[in-house]
Amino acid sequence: MNSLPTSKMILWAVLAVPAAVTVHRYATVPDIWPGDLLLPTGEWSARLIIFALMLTPLGQLFPTSRAVNWLIRHRRAFGVAAFGYAVLHLIFYVLDMESVAAMLAEIGAPGIWTGWLALLCLVPLALTSNDAAMRRLRGGWKRVQRLAYPAAILTLLHWVLVHDGMATALVHFAPLLLLQALRLARLFNRNFTQRKTI
Amino acid sequence: MIIRLLPIAAALSLAVAASPAAATGKIRCDAPQKQWKSMARLQADLTKQGWQVRKAKLDGGCYEVYGTDPQGNRVEAYFHPVSFKKLLVSRRGEVLFRAK
Repeated sequence: MNSLPTSKMILWAVLAVPAAVTVHRYATVPDIWPGDLLLPTGEWSARLIIFALMLTPLGQLFPTSRAVNWLIRHRRAFGVAAFGYAVLHLIFYVLDMESVAAMLAEIGAPGIWTGWLALLCLVPLALTSNDAAMRRLRGGWKRVQRLAYPAAILTLLHWVLVHDGMATALVHFAPLLLLQALRLARLFNRNFTQRKTI
Repeated sequence: MIIRLLPIAAALSLAVAASPAAATGKIRCDAPQKQWKSMARLQADLTKQGWQVRKAKLDGGCYEVYGTDPQGNRVEAYFHPVSFKKLLVSRRGEVLFRAK
């Protein structure tokens, strides 16, 4: 059995800390409802999706940064952790709702179906987040992984719709939106200068 | 310029994330506290009407109740602390009822 590099194990341990805290709270705090843990688990999932999607534009901005390159090499961990927190979020939702009938009854609420769709987008992402799937899918792998973008947009919508006020959600997404805007601006600029020189 | 904005955005995220969950500002009740009836009494009244109350707290001077309404919807509802008038019912952010 080949052993995992230490840096990878440390990263996984760090990413598991909020989950451990959440489960510990659920097990020990008296009078806690599963519904009380929807917010922290959902927030961690969103943060990790945002972070994973920030890495490509960050890499373009800082191509020589060792820290950024290290993060890009470990992007899979952030993506898979985002899915893990989304599943934890779903588990607390199911525990909170107690019945399938209750969940179906509110599936039409915009704040709810956006969440379900975001999770559905993450499933193929998580299933293909391994070397074997990368080899098997070749060029198609990248297309599958682009589902991260609709997942992020649906996550933002889910958060804004289900939560009181959109400030927290927007502040979380601001760095990603900024980076993507910058990426587009640079792309547009490059095309523009290229056209001028031709 | 944008690179310089990044730490500001990060600091802002932290500030918002760290701020305590105070009044949500969704609704306000301005009754003097002396006249409030107890939250326990509201819960008892609601239970009689077919509600299942999970949790009740204060938000913006109103009583905010989490639970299941008589129709079986999982909702968040606001009541006036003196009259117990139902002011707002929402399900996962979707407004189901708002008092005129």
